Amino acid sequence: MFILGLDVITTAAILFIVSAGLLMVFGVMKIINFSHGSFLTVGGYSSVIVARFGLSWWWSLPVSLAIGFLLGMLVERLIVRPLYARPLDAILATWGLGIIVGQLITLAFGRSVQMVASPINGAMLLFGRPYSIYRLILVGVALFLAVTAGWLFNGTRLGLQTRAVIMNEALARAMGISSSRVRFITFSSGAALAAAAGCLITPLTSVDPNMGVPWVVGAFMLVLLSGSSLLSLAAASLLLGGAQVIVSTFLNPVLGGLTIAVLAALVLRVRPEGFARG
Amino acid sequence: MADITGLRARFATNPSAWRVPVCIGILGIILLALCSIAMPMFLVNNLIRAFLYAAVAVTVDLLWGYTGILTFGQSAFFGIGAYAAGLIFTHAGFSIPLAACALVVGVGAAWIVSRAVGWLAFYQGASPLYASVVTLVLPIVLVQGIYSGGEFTGSSSGLSGFDSFDIPIELWFFIAGTFLVLVAVSGWLFVHSDAGRLLVAIRENEARCEYLGVNVSRHKARLMDVAAIVAAVAGFLFACVQMVVAPEYAGFVFGTELVVWVALGGRGSLIGPIIGTLLIDVGGAYLSGNLPYIWTLLVGVAFVVVIVALPRGLAPLVSTAARWTVQRRRRVEVKPVEFTLAQRRDDEHPGLKTLALSLRGVKKNFGSLKVLDDITFDAKSGELLSLIGPNGAGKSTLMRCIADGSERSSGTIEIGGTDIRKLAPYHCVALGVGRKFQTATVFDSLTVGEALRVARYRVSAPSRWRRDAQLALPQPALDLLRTTGLDQMSDRECRFLSHGQKQALELAMVLALEPHTLLLDEPTAGLTKQERGQIGEIFVALASKYQMCLLLVEHDLEFVQRISSRIIVLHQGRIVLDGGVDEVVQSDLVRAVYAGSQQELKMTESS
Amino acid sequence: MSKVISLFSPVGARVRVLSVCACVIGSIVNHVAVAADPVKIGVPIGLSGANSVVAPSVVQEGQLAVDEINAKGGILGRQVSLEVADDGSGAAGAQKAFDSLIFDKKVNALISMETSAARNAGLPIVSRGKVPFIYASQYEGHSCNRYMYVDAWVPDQQVAPIVDYFSKQYHAKKYFLIGSDYAFGRGMLDFTKKYIEKSGGQVLAAEYLPMDGSDWTSIISKLQAAKPDALITATAAGAPNVTLTKQLRAAGVKIPYGNLAVDEGTAKSMGADASGIFISGSYVTNIDTPANRTFLAAVEKRFGKDLKTPNDLSVPEYEAIYLYKAAVEKAGSFDTAKVIPALAQVSFEGPRGKIQMNKQRHTPLTMYLGQVQDDGSVKVIASFRDVDPGAQCPDLK
Repeated sequence: MFILGLDVITTAAILFIVSAGLLMVFGVMKIINFSHGSFLTVGGYSSVIVARFGLSWWWSLPVSLAIGFLLGMLVERLIVRPLYARPLDAILATWGLGIIVGQLITLAFGRSVQMVASPINGAMLLFGRPYSIYRLILVGVALFLAVTAGWLFNGTRLGLQTRAVIMNEALARAMGISSSRVRFITFSSGAALAAAAGCLITPLTSVDPNMGVPWVVGAFMLVLLSGSSLLSLAAASLLLGGAQVIVSTFLNPVLGGLTIAVLAALVLRVRPEGFARG
Repeated sequence: MADITGLRARFATNPSAWRVPVCIGILGIILLALCSIAMPMFLVNNLIRAFLYAAVAVTVDLLWGYTGILTFGQSAFFGIGAYAAGLIFTHAGFSIPLAACALVVGVGAAWIVSRAVGWLAFYQGASPLYASVVTLVLPIVLVQGIYSGGEFTGSSSGLSGFDSFDIPIELWFFIAGTFLVLVAVSGWLFVHSDAGRLLVAIRENEARCEYLGVNVSRHKARLMDVAAIVAAVAGFLFACVQMVVAPEYAGFVFGTELVVWVALGGRGSLIGPIIGTLLIDVGGAYLSGNLPYIWTLLVGVAFVVVIVALPRGLAPLVSTAARWTVQRRRRVEVKPVEFTLAQRRDDEHPGLKTLALSLRGVKKNFGSLKVLDDITFDAKSGELLSLIGPNGAGKSTLMRCIADGSERSSGTIEIGGTDIRKLAPYHCVALGVGRKFQTATVFDSLTVGEALRVARYRVSAPSRWRRDAQLALPQPALDLLRTTGLDQMSDRECRFLSHGQKQALELAMVLALEPHTLLLDEPTAGLTKQERGQIGEIFVALASKYQMCLLLVEHDLEFVQRISSRIIVLHQGRIVLDGGVDEVVQSDLVRAVYAGSQQELKMTESS
Repeated sequence: MSKVISLFSPVGARVRVLSVCACVIGSIVNHVAVAADPVKIGVPIGLSGANSVVAPSVVQEGQLAVDEINAKGGILGRQVSLEVADDGSGAAGAQKAFDSLIFDKKVNALISMETSAARNAGLPIVSRGKVPFIYASQYEGHSCNRYMYVDAWVPDQQVAPIVDYFSKQYHAKKYFLIGSDYAFGRGMLDFTKKYIEKSGGQVLAAEYLPMDGSDWTSIISKLQAAKPDALITATAAGAPNVTLTKQLRAAGVKIPYGNLAVDEGTAKSMGADASGIFISGSYVTNIDTPANRTFLAAVEKRFGKDLKTPNDLSVPEYEAIYLYKAAVEKAGSFDTAKVIPALAQVSFEGPRGKIQMNKQRHTPLTMYLGQVQDDGSVKVIASFRDVDPGAQCPDLK
């Protein structure tokens, strides 16, 4: 029972970390960035690059943030900006972009599964039961991320401008806030965050050109449920991630894999704003 | 006898409307028969698959290119049709009756799943994004189901080695090709028919359709049902000719490939998806063997470029030679529509002689903010009731609440004696309310005639495969069209109308609904003085001659004074005054509410 | 066919005559040219998709076999060439690849390894094209077709070594099974369960994750709660193997671990996490036989630094091509009807030992049990000669 609870919390933490970048982009720009999976992959491959240079794994965090940010800037300029008024087309274009990035990575690194040594291995004993240390660390990372993002959002000027754009873009622009600058920074930061998330999950999964794909749909559904609030995302991650773990444990993991998508679709049908407040 | 001559007349005015695609179709079938013998086997095999994929791509185009529903899920219906055949042939063997049974099962299952998707995705007020999400989740769930089926469904390896029809491959080529031709021709006829224009109307302005009495959700769901059945039949044929089914045919990668082909070929044109599918699928078969990664990369890049920069796809570039298929993608000929008088239907609205509108205790809250507080009044037929008040008084909100049963927070509203409870806009329209929006909301891509026909959908269902040369409208609408001169412009696209003409057209569309209550939201906004005079006369005529109840929200107090029979003043969500024109105009309270000497002067001058 | 043409009879008759003439002329020309034509062996393989990691090594072994055969005069005096087509590791791609090879390139035989989905999709086309097909890949067994032979292992051959070793060496009685939910995973573990129970052991649980699943958390928690003596897994190749192993080690699982679906190359690249894993297969690079040593020298010489390490999925390709050569020589012709029965009668001494596909289209094999060492290499612990494939296709022949 205790292990089950830990599983739920750690799974929720991982989902939160992976989805946070997507939430930022959706909340501000109302666009679903379907290339999110490829940013995750890019982050994973940053760890590979760092390992090839012989540096410690911890370097891959800033490297992935940097690469993700740069890539995000490019994508925002070239692809997302022309499609502000066409959100459905933005989904398609970012999906196409995901394919392109996947193929480019395959051409550059080959299709084989890359190995990245984990920085922290092994388990620690909790109440007599072993539990993966790294998973527990990720809970800490998720909390840190939530707190930092919350502070940035509520405590800085840029955060205030971002909130204004989220609520009413036309009015924000009328007040002199450069909404295109806000969107630009938001998208790039969301991409950077996605890359960092990709790098953070490499000790638990493998690195191959399609590593991001299984995460996209789940993250996408969680973000739809959360609107633009990180708090809602945390709640959604806990509830749906928990449902996934429970279904996987007590029913079977195949149904568990479907839980997030199906539950989210049903919740949205009943309550279109999801977990966001009215 | 009159009917037959009428019919003949209609055919005579639009001779080529349906003959062109049917002739092309027959030519295509003949060409197929010849090709099946002459072409090399490898090409024949590839084309059979490509024809079936193209038929599914046409359904994707109907849903996405024409109606605006981005769907990733057509592959799921294809997979259902294919697996119905695969499962039955593997576990029960093959025979003609079993094959017929498999077809029925496949189509039936696809229809049931489509109904479920329709319930989930097209409910009142659903966002297009949510609908796309549901169509995305569908193939994922289906594929997982197939994987979990173990040996029964063949899991990831699929089902193979089952028997099928023992006919030569050339005949299959002919069958698959004919199927594609049938789907394409039927699609073409539908899209160019009067009913097909509705798809464009829904894509352009769903809200306007709702308020014209069109049950948009039901139309979308029905369209998806048809698309699902076509895809399932294509899947069934696929399983029969290929003798193998695999989960990837039902998966969402295939679903997105369909969207890619439609986008590259040209969405919103039926020939585009066919060209896109055939070129990319068959071309890929030749090229991808040599350069597997590059080919996918190229397609990906082309896709992104097309979405961003060339939304109409590559078909317009490719088919400049074939002018007659693509250029006029909306219609073959633009015959002007003749407007005639419709027969009166007196039994429509019971209780017409009594109260047109009745509101009791209507409240609307946004959280803790009270926008409307305890609104209570009645309105009779023949009354021209103006709603005035400063900005933010809640006038537009009140209009919305009357036309949409789910808007208000509490209170009762009765239209023609019937309680509207939580009814959707299209239902309120059926009860006899017509709402004209503040900004002229018409359908840019449709002509005047087509837009008016959309308004008549509720009353007279349009043909699904023909273009009618006549349109019957009620007298008030006809009068308005003649007064404004719009009756001579039936073939002009709405986007080319002036602002005043658009306002008039929208009003005519609302009148075409034959409402007994008309809700008008700032009808004089942006009109010239002359147009204002015109419209005022029209309103007065509607109320007195046709006994309609008109409810106006207006800021032009002079206009209000001139035409109204009764004025209600709204302030901070409450009715502060409700009475005759003179009574309200003289009142001190009104002056205080409007606070400004300008208005005071105006009022004293005209009294 | 005649039904279709009769609809357009005036045109049809003329078309019929013309096409018959064309065919007659064409086949005459064909026969005349045949002596100089090379023998084409088609290789439909996953250059993209799930098999793209292992495909290059398969193509290399194929190329080596072809080169060696051509140097010694070819097959029945004709030179051999390889035609490679990408099947995308899936059904749709396989259909295109098989079509292209059989009807466009007109190959004499198909010899390749593929995913089961690809193989199943290609079989109807093979039947239509009437071309011999040697499937050179391990798989879940029981796939049968008039034109197909298999020269790699099936579960009946692979599972026994590991289970027998575990129960003897570690006295394992309680087993926990983990797999990917697809045909191979289920097929392998179903057989494993039966074998374990037949040998007197007990299967505590068999847990599956979807093929693309990467989160084994709940399954690992169940594993630890069940406290088995040994673990046996059969996941999809590539990423699932890696993710499962990583997460198992991260959770501190140290019981004997037999992996039915990992190859030497992946195991080597998994580094420290893979140390201690038991694998069972028909080929490891450390096999100490003259045939294997010659083979390894030849392949190193041919490809030099571009060499992709030969493995249990690529060596069967090499041997299959030699088997085809032997069958054609025995039959004295390339005619499919003669080659098919001959394939069951010939044998070849290859790097994996003696290969003869005479057990219901499958072949007895020497299976090797190995354990991954700390440095990533695989140490052969035991070998079992001539393990029988069991009754794979009782209805054929």
